[in-house]
Amino acid sequence: MALLEIFDPKAAPRPIGIDLGTTNSLVARVRDGKPVVINDCNAVALVPSVVHYDPRGRVIVGVDAQRLAVDFPRETIVSVKRFMGRGADDPETRRLGPYEFVEPKTPEEAKSVRFKVRDRAVTPVEVSAEILRVLRSLAEDELRSVGGAVITVPAYFDDAQRQATKDAGKLAGLDVLRLLNEPTAAALAYGLEKQKNGLFAVYDLGGGTFDVTILLLDDGVFQVRSTGGDSALGGDDMDRALAERLLQELGVPAENRPRELVRLALDTARKIKHGLTENDRVEAEIEVPGGTRKLAVTRDEFEALIKPIVERTGVACRRALRDAGIAADELDGVILVGGSTRVPYVRQYVEKLFGKPPLCDLDPEEVVALGAAIQADILAGSKERADEVLLLDVLPLSLGLETMGGVVEKILPRNTTIPAGARQTFTTYADNQTGFDLHIVQGERELAVDCRSLARFVLKGIPPMPAGLARLEVTFRVDADGLLNVTAKELTTGVEQKVEVKPSYGLTDEEVEAMLMAALDHGEEDLEKRQLIEARVEAERVVLATKKALVADADLLEGDEERTRIDEALAGLEEAIRGSRAAIIRGRTEVLDDVTHGWAGRRMDRAIAKAIAGKDVAAIESTVAQARGVEAHLAEHAGQSAPEGDASGTGS
Amino acid sequence: MIDPFQTLGVEARFDLDPDDLARRHRDLSRALHPDRYAGAPAAERRLSLSRAIEVNDAFRVLKDPIRRAEALLRRAGVPVGETAEPKPSPDLLMEMMERREELGDARRRKDLAAVHALADAIRLREREVLASMGRQFAASDPDTTKLAAVLPELGELRYLRRFLDEASAIEEELSS
Ligand SMILES: Nc1ncnc2c1ncn2[C@@H]1O[C@H](COP(=O)(O)OP(=O)(O)OP(=O)(O)O)[C@@H](O)[C@H]1O
Ligand SMILES: [Mg+2]
Repeated sequence: MALLEIFDPKAAPRPIGIDLGTTNSLVARVRDGKPVVINDCNAVALVPSVVHYDPRGRVIVGVDAQRLAVDFPRETIVSVKRFMGRGADDPETRRLGPYEFVEPKTPEEAKSVRFKVRDRAVTPVEVSAEILRVLRSLAEDELRSVGGAVITVPAYFDDAQRQATKDAGKLAGLDVLRLLNEPTAAALAYGLEKQKNGLFAVYDLGGGTFDVTILLLDDGVFQVRSTGGDSALGGDDMDRALAERLLQELGVPAENRPRELVRLALDTARKIKHGLTENDRVEAEIEVPGGTRKLAVTRDEFEALIKPIVERTGVACRRALRDAGIAADELDGVILVGGSTRVPYVRQYVEKLFGKPPLCDLDPEEVVALGAAIQADILAGSKERADEVLLLDVLPLSLGLETMGGVVEKILPRNTTIPAGARQTFTTYADNQTGFDLHIVQGERELAVDCRSLARFVLKGIPPMPAGLARLEVTFRVDADGLLNVTAKELTTGVEQKVEVKPSYGLTDEEVEAMLMAALDHGEEDLEKRQLIEARVEAERVVLATKKALVADADLLEGDEERTRIDEALAGLEEAIRGSRAAIIRGRTEVLDDVTHGWAGRRMDRAIAKAIAGKDVAAIESTVAQARGVEAHLAEHAGQSAPEGDASGTGS
Repeated sequence: MIDPFQTLGVEARFDLDPDDLARRHRDLSRALHPDRYAGAPAAERRLSLSRAIEVNDAFRVLKDPIRRAEALLRRAGVPVGETAEPKPSPDLLMEMMERREELGDARRRKDLAAVHALADAIRLREREVLASMGRQFAASDPDTTKLAAVLPELGELRYLRRFLDEASAIEEELSS
């Protein structure tokens, strides 16, 4: 059996779930209906998120890289997740490690931090892709063929950080089905294993980030009520606090510390911290210039050091409760996630904060990957689960536009359920203004300079007219991954202008393609092969879905004519799939998409009616009656209806 | 603009049961969410995204009494939005100014209890205004010409809401 599985060249692709952590990463999958983590040959699942670049241009990831970190601190990137989506001018980055950075030469380059390692410039996206590649090959060793992947991100990640994570997945050759919030993944793992319903708080203290999420688990629907946290708070901070104490004890002056010694102190601190989880007192030895020194730390001392760090989590928790509109005693349970929740002091603090002992039945370091595997399984079409589970996530931070005086106008407030959309109209503030400067920001502060800048673009070519006459309509759309897409158009001129902007601190699709090509041995040729495979996979998916629907929903077809058109398009696509030209396959996939469009809308209306049926009989009729054709719907979404804006701000 | 009541398939009335509304949103999401269409053709995925957005948007509007009232008025052809509505009464403006001064004082004194007390009083008043609006909306059915009478209370509600937003920002500031 096992042999057959290993040598089956046509093994069906299996979906995987990945927890891409600051400190550790791991991959899991669903086997026989149960999520399990995938181990390496040493039966270890955790891969330290450490990447080393060696002098011969090789890349080493994981435990081996971790060992090299002490001797080669600048050539070894740790906690790369903290750099994801950060711009080159971000002052925070200097504080985050001993690295050298490449000075950006163009505004494009300035969008992302770039590490300088051995005269190479690497972006956090590329470093993360190295970690993902290792996880992918771990999964391939076990599954032969890896299908789509769900990658988790902290709920608190903003648009730039999410985009960067998705790019890293693409760069690692993964088909990223979905980005999933870590706490939601954790709750998914708990909810399904233990069949829980109720209100929960997920408290996730990892290596680099803290997240708290208030979740409602209700009849299979996991709904995020609110989320909060701090993207720069975690076990690393405990390590730093303890290392600082150790260095002081060793009498190393703060002004003149060799980087290698700092790294060594951090490593020692972490070991002591782990030891203190089980023991009241831990001794350690540290090599310093001039010999070995012995140090000892008690748990009480450690707890005094981390008290302020742990208390910072309380602020975020209280805010999340307030945002969800609930009191701590209304919670049915608190779920612990992240390695740092092993620290006894953290558990005590959580218990005190929420007034009840937290749940910790599942391994806090595995639970996120397990949940991601479940979600990947659902998205890949696992029948048993698809009808039971749905995740409704929310926007972690408000999205807005800079208006006059640098003030932010919020377009979509934080904790809005996603996917979400909003439209706002703006007008000119000066006579004869011919352009709009649009600045898209994310964050809660009132002034644009205090928020994260996502993108800027200019809408030009507005004919001169008096102030206040031009009408600029800006549309924000956030998809289920939490990724933003903005379009803008000027309404009065009759000439519609459309600018589409995908805010990104990651890479453009072209850049990812180019990098992928460079990584392959026979660039062009391999890329063509890849494109053919991808086109076939998508086409086969469309064929399968269409055939299934023809069986289930044939009665919704409008006459034989529609049926004939679909049958023809289907036959054409199947013929193309047997051929070997990606462009033709893609073209005919589009044709099939086109001719099934109207029918798809009617099927969706039926799904809606069904969803409501049984719950509220009176309303079914009205819903069925109002099930407008898809045409009407699309027309509305093409923005041909009257603009809804009564909130007209001022373009800056 | 798409009618949010129609999108969610609920009766167009002011006193909707929040639990019913949430349940309806959940059931519709179950049918429409893009995750349900992860394996579907691209066109269907796009369609599901648009409709899920529409459903979430409608839910957001109907959950919020101010926006729910606006949606009802818009349906009936009554112009809404602060520039279209009648000016608030001088009494209300005066009173809100005084309350906000008290709020500012409490903030300067870092008196969290006083901020809570001020917010509680306004919340109580918000509940009263909402109840009264519910009665007015009910009375204007089917004679929608009476609807304009709701406008002053809608205006008041906006002031109360702004006050509460400010208060909660101060509460957050003082308790962190
Ligand atoms: N036994 C233990 N006692 C104390 N701390 C521990 C223990 N085991 C792991 N940790 C700490 O947990 C942290 C890593 O946790 P985890 O692997 O959950 O983080 P991560 O998921 O990589 O990070 P993040 O969630 O921030 O992205 C490290 O700071 C590590 O030192
Ligand atoms: Mg984690």
